[in-house]
Amino acid sequence: MKMRNYWNLRDWGAGIWERANRPKRVAIAITTIFLVALLPFAGASFLATPIAAYDAVLVYPVGVFILMALGLNIVVGKSGMLDLGYVAFFAIGAYTMALMGTHTGLNTWEIMPFGIAFAMLAGVLLGLPTLRLRGDYLAIVTLGFGEIVRLVVLNSTWSKGPNGIANIPMPPDIGPLKFKLDDQKVFFWVVVIMILLTIWMIRRLSVRRPGRAWEAIRQDEDAAELMGIPTLKYKIWSFTLGAAVGGAAGVLFASKNLFIAPEMFTLNVSILILACVVFGGIGNIWGVVLGAAILGYLPERIRFISDARLLVFGLVLVTVMNFRPDGLLPRKKREKAIVKKEVNA
Amino acid sequence: MFAVLIDQFWSLTIAGVALGFIYVLISLGYTMVYGVLRMINFANSEIFMWGTFGTIITSRDIFHYTQTSEPARGFKLALVLLSSLLMSMLVAGLTAVFVEFVAYRRLRAKGTNRLATLISAIGISIVLSEVMRLLTASRPVGAPRVLEKIILTEIWGANIRLDTIITIIAAAIIFFILERFVKLSRMGKAIRAVSMNEDAAKLMGVNLNRVIATTFLVGGLATGAASFFYVTVFEYTKFNIGFTMGMAAFTAAVLGGIGNIRGAFYGGLTLGLLEVYASAVLGTQWKAVTVFIVLVLVLLFKPNGLFGEAVQTTRA
Amino acid sequence: MSETLLSLENVVMKFGGVTALGDVTLNVKKGEILALIGPNGAGKTTVFNVITGVYKPTSGTITFAGTAINKQKRFEITKMGIARTFQNIRLWGDMTTLENVIAATDVHKKSGLVGALLGFPRARKEERENRERAHEILKFIGIDEYSDRLAKNLPYGVQRRLEIARAMGTNPQLLLLDEPAAGFNPAEKVELAALIKRIRDAGYTVLLIEHDMSLIMGISDRVAVLDFGVKIADDLPSKVQNDPKVIEAYLGVPSDAS
Ligand SMILES: Nc1ncnc2c1ncn2[C@@H]1O[C@H](COP(=O)(O)OP(=O)(O)OP(=O)(O)O)[C@@H](O)[C@H]1O
Ligand SMILES: [Mg+2]
Repeated sequence: MKMRNYWNLRDWGAGIWERANRPKRVAIAITTIFLVALLPFAGASFLATPIAAYDAVLVYPVGVFILMALGLNIVVGKSGMLDLGYVAFFAIGAYTMALMGTHTGLNTWEIMPFGIAFAMLAGVLLGLPTLRLRGDYLAIVTLGFGEIVRLVVLNSTWSKGPNGIANIPMPPDIGPLKFKLDDQKVFFWVVVIMILLTIWMIRRLSVRRPGRAWEAIRQDEDAAELMGIPTLKYKIWSFTLGAAVGGAAGVLFASKNLFIAPEMFTLNVSILILACVVFGGIGNIWGVVLGAAILGYLPERIRFISDARLLVFGLVLVTVMNFRPDGLLPRKKREKAIVKKEVNA
Repeated sequence: MFAVLIDQFWSLTIAGVALGFIYVLISLGYTMVYGVLRMINFANSEIFMWGTFGTIITSRDIFHYTQTSEPARGFKLALVLLSSLLMSMLVAGLTAVFVEFVAYRRLRAKGTNRLATLISAIGISIVLSEVMRLLTASRPVGAPRVLEKIILTEIWGANIRLDTIITIIAAAIIFFILERFVKLSRMGKAIRAVSMNEDAAKLMGVNLNRVIATTFLVGGLATGAASFFYVTVFEYTKFNIGFTMGMAAFTAAVLGGIGNIRGAFYGGLTLGLLEVYASAVLGTQWKAVTVFIVLVLVLLFKPNGLFGEAVQTTRA
Repeated sequence: MSETLLSLENVVMKFGGVTALGDVTLNVKKGEILALIGPNGAGKTTVFNVITGVYKPTSGTITFAGTAINKQKRFEITKMGIARTFQNIRLWGDMTTLENVIAATDVHKKSGLVGALLGFPRARKEERENRERAHEILKFIGIDEYSDRLAKNLPYGVQRRLEIARAMGTNPQLLLLDEPAAGFNPAEKVELAALIKRIRDAGYTVLLIEHDMSLIMGISDRVAVLDFGVKIADDLPSKVQNDPKVIEAYLGVPSDAS
């Protein structure tokens, strides 16, 4: 019994949370956030990354991967649609930042809403024709879309083609907190806040009407439609919210990297993010966070993985789907835990 | 803008037909698997890419041709070409069976949902392309020159090259043979029975696993033949050629009505021509974009393709 | 009797070469239990499918409460007041019993995504109402004790009842039940018959597909019989029972002996 509990991290965590009362929950949440916020100071510990600067690694890939994985999870995990072109929304956000940042006087925070809006618009435009179709068509069309966005950027003059766009402005300082390249603490804290906002949004929606609709669509779309759920509308919402998160991640990435080029937005990024979602546990927020953190971090720490990164991630996809489709943390609590609760109550 | 198109209309058309036949054969890989599984064979693009290395290995490593050596002639030429073709088909066919075994079979047995299978399939195609990337150090691989690209004759100002003609004729023959196989052979009939109604076919004693594996094999063989023609015409390959070719061939399959073998034929040719004409007008860098727009338009307005097969199926 | 709630007029449904329904005309009156019977493959489920918009009929019209519903989308038809169960159970297995019903009660709610996100008062109120309504329905059906169990892990009989509860969640005027007693033992069937009666008495109109004659004879006001996609009888249960055409259809004797 103990052994089982140990293995089922998900039920163990959920158990602690459910037994806690409100003040206790607030305490747990605050402690966790505080500890996470301290992570940039742990660079000298076993966490150190030999390949890249540790504080930079925390922002990208780790932080940005978590953010994007959470966004993609709205699409893949919540409503069961396979989006293989997620990088497109990331690219749209990044190019919005790059173009507006270099051509207008607006700063990162002012550009953020535009980046999100353009990504959402692209989501609707792509979703309207394709979300009516069955799942695998969506997968291949989004796969194409991701590549098309890259090709358009690569072959256009406004985007400076393969040369990319340089001199993208950094975010303005927030009071005493300064954004710096050689010390990316503040970037990290901003990512953490964006992640928290995304988690808050997903949790809110999950337990309410949209979440139920997505869940119903994911499990049996025909039944959902026949029980009065406007499936197309909810699928488009899901797709668009995912796009919004991707766009936000893109804006932040461009403003941190200061330079972007089409080669940063290949199909590989979509696959990496999908692997994060799948590895951690499709549909489970904490699983996705954990999965993205591990898969974002490990290649920076272990050089062997870094060279064959994509191969490893491909293997992750096949292996997890075939042998542990729930990933690290399964979506639902196991029935046993619930029944036990009933008996005890 | 259109000057190029009008000027070189006939040579473009011939190139388009040759490319079209390559698409026809690759889209068989999509269409046949779709027929039995009602699922897209995501890895078909990488099966194609692996197939191209079958030809390279045969001419370079077995027959020791290089890019500067004398082209082959007569009997030797036929021998090298034929073995290259067979080797490409073999490599692609085996890869396809491998894909089915690793990515699809287990999940089918478990009866898990489509999403899991899709992800598994996309995973295996990443693995296939990454393994080749690491093996070739991300570099393009040039094909030895076995076939001298002689200009046979000139029609309406268009040069008719030997490799193009071989591609068109041989691909048409291979397509015809495969089509007959599916129509007439015992296994072909079983494949079609499963396409129409899996449960009924099972009741009739069809061994589902074997039929599905065979379908992957046949689809792989067709795709492998396309690999050979690709290398013959373009004389190079790279670990990442699968994506564009696969996307185009899939579009061709949808255009012709996925699941429909005849449809693959018309869809492939239509797309080949369209792509060549569009590149002449817009520039080759917009080739993939054109293909993608065609795909979205077809899905939007004629999701059953030109020759029919329900894409959207609902049952209650 | 009373006013007509649903009517099918000359409905034809063809699938390629197969004619599943050939010219079916059928009226369902408000407040009645109408049983739809017929041998396997007669086209009963297909009738449900064309009513709920799963298939658009090849020809013919379907009118519900005075409006033609041929062109409506599936979810709109449900919203108008028709809900169904499935012959082969199609619950959302990974959702709890309660969630299955709540998802259906959402149909008539107004609050959208933004409301849910920002926690508008109306959204909260609707969430509360939904929950209460769902419990009410589950109690009415008698499966409230299973509220927190995942639908896929429920006993078979409970799943069948949950199908009904979920359909009732959409607050329909007309309930379409597709073989709700399939696989039940005699005692369970009696219980189910009583439940269907209670559902009718609560104000719903019921169109019921069922194979068990004694169940049908006990509760239905009227019985319509389909055979090879054609309606061959439509009358009081006692009359239908003795109709020679119906007996032939069930015994498999060709109806014209040429
Ligand atoms: N989507 C479809 N495509 C082709 N044929 C169909 C389709 N749906 C139903 N049919 C055919 O229509 C006929 C009627 O089927 P239906 O399911 O309505 O019968 P039923 O009366 O409900 O039978 P049962 O008692 O077995 O449930 C059958 O011959 C069936 O094969
Ligand atoms: Mg039926």
